[in-house]
Amino acid sequence: MIIAEAGQQWLIFWGHFHPMLVHLPIGMFFMAGILHFFAKQTSESQGLIVRILMWTTAFSIVSAAMGWGLAQSGEYDPDALQIHQWLGISTCVLSVGLTYVMRAGMNHRLTNSLFVLSLLCLTITGHYGGNLTHGSDYLLSSLPSSGRKVLGIKQAEEANKAVPQIANLPEAIVYTQLVKPLLTQKCTSCHNEQKQKGKLRLDTPEFILLGGEDGPVVSAGKPLESELIKRLLLDASDEHHMPPKGKTPLTENEIALLHWWVQHGADFKKKVSELPSDERIKPVLAAYTQGVVSQESPVYKQEVDEADEADLARIRKHGLMANPISKDQNFIEVNAINAPRVTNKELADLSKIQGQIVRLKLGNTGVSGDFIKEIAAMPLLIQLDLNHTKLTDQDLVGLKNLAYLESINLVGTPISDRGLASLAHIKSLKRVYLWQTRVTEKGVAVLKKMRPDLTIQSGFKGRWPLEVDSAKLTPTK
Amino acid sequence: MENEFFKNRLNITRRHFFGQAAAGIGGLALGSLLVPELFKGDASAQSLPLGVAHFAPKAKRVIYLCQNGAPSQYESFDYKPMLNKMAGQDLPDSIRGTQRLTGMTASQDKFPLVGSYYNFKQHGKSGTYISEIFPHIGSIADDICVIRTMSTDAINHDPALTFLQTGAQVGNRPSMGAWMSYGLGSENKNLPAFCVLLSRGRGNGQGVYSKLWTNGFLDSTHQGVVFSSSEDPILYLNDSDGIDKAGRRRMLDQLAELNHEGFAENKDPEVEAKVQQYEMAYRMQTAVPELTDLSKEPDHIIKMYGPECLVPGTYAANVLLARKLSESGVRFVQIYHQGWDSHGNLPQEMAMQAQDVDRSSAALITDLKQRGLLDETLVIWGGEFGRTNYCQGKYTVDNYGRDHHPRAYSIFMAGGGVKAGTVYGETDELGYNVVKDPVHIHDFHATVQHLMGINHEQLTYKHLGRRYRLTDIAGNVLPGLIA
Repeated sequence: MIIAEAGQQWLIFWGHFHPMLVHLPIGMFFMAGILHFFAKQTSESQGLIVRILMWTTAFSIVSAAMGWGLAQSGEYDPDALQIHQWLGISTCVLSVGLTYVMRAGMNHRLTNSLFVLSLLCLTITGHYGGNLTHGSDYLLSSLPSSGRKVLGIKQAEEANKAVPQIANLPEAIVYTQLVKPLLTQKCTSCHNEQKQKGKLRLDTPEFILLGGEDGPVVSAGKPLESELIKRLLLDASDEHHMPPKGKTPLTENEIALLHWWVQHGADFKKKVSELPSDERIKPVLAAYTQGVVSQESPVYKQEVDEADEADLARIRKHGLMANPISKDQNFIEVNAINAPRVTNKELADLSKIQGQIVRLKLGNTGVSGDFIKEIAAMPLLIQLDLNHTKLTDQDLVGLKNLAYLESINLVGTPISDRGLASLAHIKSLKRVYLWQTRVTEKGVAVLKKMRPDLTIQSGFKGRWPLEVDSAKLTPTK
Repeated sequence: MENEFFKNRLNITRRHFFGQAAAGIGGLALGSLLVPELFKGDASAQSLPLGVAHFAPKAKRVIYLCQNGAPSQYESFDYKPMLNKMAGQDLPDSIRGTQRLTGMTASQDKFPLVGSYYNFKQHGKSGTYISEIFPHIGSIADDICVIRTMSTDAINHDPALTFLQTGAQVGNRPSMGAWMSYGLGSENKNLPAFCVLLSRGRGNGQGVYSKLWTNGFLDSTHQGVVFSSSEDPILYLNDSDGIDKAGRRRMLDQLAELNHEGFAENKDPEVEAKVQQYEMAYRMQTAVPELTDLSKEPDHIIKMYGPECLVPGTYAANVLLARKLSESGVRFVQIYHQGWDSHGNLPQEMAMQAQDVDRSSAALITDLKQRGLLDETLVIWGGEFGRTNYCQGKYTVDNYGRDHHPRAYSIFMAGGGVKAGTVYGETDELGYNVVKDPVHIHDFHATVQHLMGINHEQLTYKHLGRRYRLTDIAGNVLPGLIA
């Protein structure tokens, strides 16, 4: 029994040489292939290729044996391992066969197809081997989004970004949105379903609580007694330090985050706001909101298609600005600041992008009543500036179905109290600008009563200057 | 043939070549991203329009009311009654710690604490304490966010102002406005993205220098354009006598042709920048006179800003002009108002300075608000550092001075996504050190850029072999300031 166990240990020891040695026959095999297909065929080169193939076969078999030894460690997902193992054995068999055929000088078609088959088998084996070591998403994980688009691969998941951005941080679940992405990024490539170094998995709450071969790794409330934290804090040269040498270490902020989470109970359900925050964690948390502007409008949760460049170009020809509101969003802001002379005729082109427009700034333009129905057909409109235009009370009626409109600027228009009723019907409305209109104070009061939630700006009413105690202004020297 | 080829290549320096190669690919991508019209072949739109932010911006434009010379926080926004109680007593060493002092007070053997000469009052629903010499700003307390914990690295005006404006104490980096111009461009194609207005108060003044609004290593089209208070708000903008519009146009066309030829030969990007600047100046010839004509502002607006706003070159006039520029789509309007350097005679100087800026600063915010523009315009008011809580020179009850203090000082911001009606940060009872929520200049820059939809770590420019940004290698966005 003891002997068997010692044998097992030796197997695993030699197994660790598999990832090192295996690259040698891979390179040699491809070299043989290159010589076979691309170099001038002479009897001399034939002999050389055969000799390379013999060595390749020998190293392949040794590597495969070592691979089998490594498999005994039990750190890999059995299913993925099976595929790699049988492909590896196939490669060895093919290699033996190919060497024999080549040596025997059999016909070209047979050798060529066997060669191609072997190299193909080798490539696939290698790929599965790589997946075992680095994780199945390793190869393309850092492909930029533009490349993903071209290849039709779905966008990188949160885990691949440096610090995932969280819109509503206080409401975020600490484990799901902060801890898990971090573990996925830095830990689970070795502690996952397929590969369990130290018999530990860190990919689900259950397995995190279960711990590894030396017992639990998390001691709730006691970060410094938790293996999960202790290992991170060890000196980088310590053999128990995690992640091991060669893998990307956790940053100080990341360690602080895990420490904070364990310290406050290593809970899997609690929100950021439910854990007490301190000076150390504040800047760490702040990093999660650096790139985020809280966009309260529900519009921003929707996805719209990119506006057609040709449509935008036509709109821009009129001097209108029509640009995405940000680099990563397809919503469009239209601004007529450089086109005070546009009228309904030119604005008609906006109908092509009506599904994308969220901000429409038509202040000081010649827009008139007929265009209102076009505006009403912009379902995602959030901000509408119609200041200093000729629009009337009657025109506002057409806007009442805009479901997301939050702000309307009517400064300098002939709007009167009568038009305010239609504004009151726009449920999503938050801000109304009515300065320099015919709206009276009474009208504003009525609107205020109908919609106490509205912020109504009807112009500055204060009496300035305000008095300053004049004695203080000329103090005695 | 081959010779000619090499001759041309020789005109390009190695660094320039690599810079250009990078700009050719990266720049093309950036350009098309920020200025979609850029590659559409439409000459009139070529030089400018709107950029696209990294993420949806809260603020579209900035008006920076820089109070040059460092107004005292103790007589404005950081209410410290303890200083009045302890007036005349020495600043304890435990509070001062290792803080270095300027040459002006380093040799003082006593550091007598001094409280505010003026009373403070709580304002608005927020109950923000504001000194009585700023009654108008007090009246809009619910629209502003007072930051009481600004801190800087520099202790003298020149490096501190340079740091505040460019993120570095040495004067070779682009100013905040230049970065905004570079990142976002101008909204109005007839006006530069970055404009600068200068004024001088009645207090002890400190200079302003063109390095504060420099484009640094960025293309010179991003440099701040200074408006003067003279008859010609922008010097040399108008056509000389005897030259009509058509003649001007012909001249510019010919000149551009020559410049393009020159560019083809020497590949100096500044040649192209020059052409763009000529074109901008041409377009400004009609846009600027309209803007700078304040006579058409209605009476009630003049009454808000105060009668001084009709006197060109005053702070009030500049603030009103700043509103007009911003309203017209100028991305970044920078105002400098000198006269806050009260080393002595503070009670009197501070009151005069406050009188100059209080009403019009408050009017600007109120005016933007009634126009529906405050939501997307960020207004910043403040200086380059604060002043000491102890007296410089001889202390008497109604006359004292204060030296420079970099550790903690107050500014305020309004509009553009800032949390209105709040006070951010806390200083100790003597106002000397930050005890809660510090705002370093780098954090301030990061936050302002964030409000503009810019990720401060991503807006970079490669120069002398490395990438620079406004916050260089520091700065955190402060969510506590953002609504």
